[in-house]
Amino acid sequence: MITTELTYGDLAALIKQSAGVTVAPEQLAGSPETPFSGLGVDSLGLLGIVGELENRHGVALPTDAERCKTPAEFVALVNNALAGV
Amino acid sequence: MTRRVAVTGIGVVAPGGAGTAAFWDLLTQGRTATRGITLFDPAGLRSRIAAECDFDPYAHGLSAELSRHTDRYVQFAVVAAGEAVRDSGLDTAAENPWRVGVSLGSAVGGTTRLEHDYVLVSERGARWDVDHRAADPKLHLAFAPSTLASVVAEEYGAQGPVQTVSTGCTSGLDAVGYAFHTIEEGRADVVIAGASDSPISPITMACFDAIKATSPDNDDPEHASKPFDNRRNGFVMGEGAAVLVLEEYEHARARGAHIYCEISGYATYGNAYHMTGLTGEGLEMARAIDTALDQARLDPTAIDYVNAHGSGTRQNDRHETAAVKRSLGAHAYDTPMSSIKSMVGHSLGAIGAIEVAACVLALQHQVVPPTANYEIPDPECDLDYVPRTARPRKLRNVLSVGSGFGGFQSAVLLTGPGGRTR
Amino acid sequence: MSTQRPRPAVVTGIGVIAPNGLRTDAYWKSVREGLGVLGRITREGCEHLPLKVAGQVEGFDASALIDERFLVQTDRFTHYAMAAAALALDDAGLGHEEGPEEPFDIGVVTAAGSGGGEFGQRELQKLWGQGSKFVGPYQSIAWFYAASTGQISIRHGFKGPCGVVASDEAGGLDAVAHAARAVRRGTGAVVVGAAEAPLAPYSMVCQLGYRELSTVDDPDRAYRPFTAKACGFVPAEGGAMLVVEDETRALDRGATVRATVAGHGATFTGASRWKESREGLAQAIRVALDEAGCAPEEIDVVFPDALGVPEADRAEALAITDVLGAHAKRVPVTAPKTGYGRAYCGAPVLDTAAAVLAMEHGLVPPTPHVYDIDCDLDVVMSRARPAELRTALVLSRGLMGSNAALVVRRGGGLAR
Repeated sequence: MITTELTYGDLAALIKQSAGVTVAPEQLAGSPETPFSGLGVDSLGLLGIVGELENRHGVALPTDAERCKTPAEFVALVNNALAGV
Repeated sequence: MTRRVAVTGIGVVAPGGAGTAAFWDLLTQGRTATRGITLFDPAGLRSRIAAECDFDPYAHGLSAELSRHTDRYVQFAVVAAGEAVRDSGLDTAAENPWRVGVSLGSAVGGTTRLEHDYVLVSERGARWDVDHRAADPKLHLAFAPSTLASVVAEEYGAQGPVQTVSTGCTSGLDAVGYAFHTIEEGRADVVIAGASDSPISPITMACFDAIKATSPDNDDPEHASKPFDNRRNGFVMGEGAAVLVLEEYEHARARGAHIYCEISGYATYGNAYHMTGLTGEGLEMARAIDTALDQARLDPTAIDYVNAHGSGTRQNDRHETAAVKRSLGAHAYDTPMSSIKSMVGHSLGAIGAIEVAACVLALQHQVVPPTANYEIPDPECDLDYVPRTARPRKLRNVLSVGSGFGGFQSAVLLTGPGGRTR
Repeated sequence: MSTQRPRPAVVTGIGVIAPNGLRTDAYWKSVREGLGVLGRITREGCEHLPLKVAGQVEGFDASALIDERFLVQTDRFTHYAMAAAALALDDAGLGHEEGPEEPFDIGVVTAAGSGGGEFGQRELQKLWGQGSKFVGPYQSIAWFYAASTGQISIRHGFKGPCGVVASDEAGGLDAVAHAARAVRRGTGAVVVGAAEAPLAPYSMVCQLGYRELSTVDDPDRAYRPFTAKACGFVPAEGGAMLVVEDETRALDRGATVRATVAGHGATFTGASRWKESREGLAQAIRVALDEAGCAPEEIDVVFPDALGVPEADRAEALAITDVLGAHAKRVPVTAPKTGYGRAYCGAPVLDTAAAVLAMEHGLVPPTPHVYDIDCDLDVVMSRARPAELRTALVLSRGLMGSNAALVVRRGGGLAR
């Protein structure tokens, strides 16, 4: 079985790709409660990240995913959802 | 001395039937024109419903040239402008052509045709280095947004200021507003003003899917557009056009024209907040309303009806309710406010003009069109949304408001005969 | 909002992103020296197309001039517009970080003639190549014509009247006039202009239908208006943004008043009807002069449309003569855009910027690549010509049939 866990490194890459914002994985891991808005990731950026994950994994994430305020919340929700697949 | 601006002609191409009469019938009967998409195969999309126009350019007498080489939204505008000019009784050939202008809005212009030809030149998205030999040799007409105003100006002999306005979903309101200013400032005596869009194409539907702005109620399209209702879950795409003949008041009187009403105020502001997001306060829309009232020298209590943007997204309807309450104060609760998007969908840039046309007709018939599908109140949207049934009412001043991507917040004020207090 | 005192609309800031210069000083240096920067189009996927030569913006550093996230979130035409707006605001002394004290006092107006075509093509490729779920959320705000106005308004916190004229070339002047009227109606300042990015493969395919387009592949010969060798126009990207401000407001805050937007006229004579554009352009000039209260003899320099199509060039020369009379033979005429191309709606805004700079420097810049004039105008060639310049006339015509004229005066309008 392939691992589908979303790491802070993955998320940093997704943020760069989908929202154009550069953020170091260490920064995400170090202060995962810093809100997306504080990182410069807007609602459209988060929607793009959700869409990219859905396309990659071929699953629909819960609608709460795009409403997450922080990376910590988002990573937990996504990993929970992917674990259930 | 201020020049006043009269509305002397109306033309509409809207879902549910072309022509002003069919449009008004639909609105006053509270019927909805939303349905499953037929213009292309929408399989795979999240939202597969829309309010489409059953439109045949040849049946409307358009030339083969226009029918073949211009985009659907241009054709809508030519037909709507034709109806408006006929309705106004204006003899365009007898006018000084330098004093006749055109101001037409469109949010997405020729994207439908651009997408159509893109599929050909890219071999269905297979190549970036597209093959120009497969493209329509007149594809520039879809590329240039000014084709809209240009074609209409050519058809009706306008040689004055000719503009295409593209402020997203407030394009229609702003095109009417720019025309109002053009006449008021003395730069033209007549302006053919309105807006048109035909955005029901895969790329536009897909981009609104991506931001979950459109309703996914594919199983019940007739009831999918539910502005202000607590079950609302997004807008339903529409298409169409509305065009008005705006005329300097004395110019219209001198030729004995029927004057429907006046455009008495217009303002637009940016919310400087987010390209798609709206604040909860509605400060900027309220400011637009206040400025429009100020221009017309009217108190907020003079407003008899608010034609809402009412797109049916969660955030829009709350934003707008807050804005109207901020401007109208306690009077907001006594003022009917409805969204015709419940019936004709949201045709992006066109809808502002279609809604202004609805306001003109409301003043003419002294009837407020309803909000179809409104059943379950949202505690945060607590105004009188005129549920489902049109309502006769004494109307003198009516307001049309809109919000657009990019943060645009616009308001147009219309005043019927006897509505002026100055 | 209306006020009794006169409210001349003045230029207090200029920002340029052009093929011949990023930033205003670099642009003016190239213009003054008559530098030709037209070249082969090098963007990916364009090599095989019959349009070979254009004015490309080179070396644009998004992370320095805007913010790198906008590379993902919006199109190149908006990058240029945002960068030019920031430069114009800095130039005007309005570039503060925290947003304006009175946000409703500053508006944003842009003209757009080609939209976010490169961004749109990428998303179309995802849609048709992979499926609708691969279309990204930023498509909804990047492709449409209003993108630049919205982004500039948000970035700087400007809530004043915001607008977009989606126009052919003449729309650039219409936008400047729109801003000036907003100022006269009571808005304190408007950031206004246009920037375009039409050099992506599919956008270029769309332009091939313009019969006025030059497909000559020698950059030195591709765009030579007013000569017997005229063979069409060369497109360009980039543009300019101006800060147009109420003069009293500008003076009160100690800003330099650089020029007054004195008069504007706009007419329409039909797409590609170049012969008829003579009458239309002449009428636009008359209206602009009339609004400016300016006699034809007061015009010290003309920045013509200079389409590069013989019939259109003749019509333009005749239109200038129709209105300026004998003065038309004496007034210097210059088209710096032959050095860097026509950036659609951006072109006449760049001309307006060049006109202000020319008046400030007392120098009529030359018309690059143009040597043997085939008309009765005094076209300035080869090198810049010193001259006392108080009033400039900027002309523009669009491929869809619009004509526009703008009268710009040096310095403020209150003392006049």
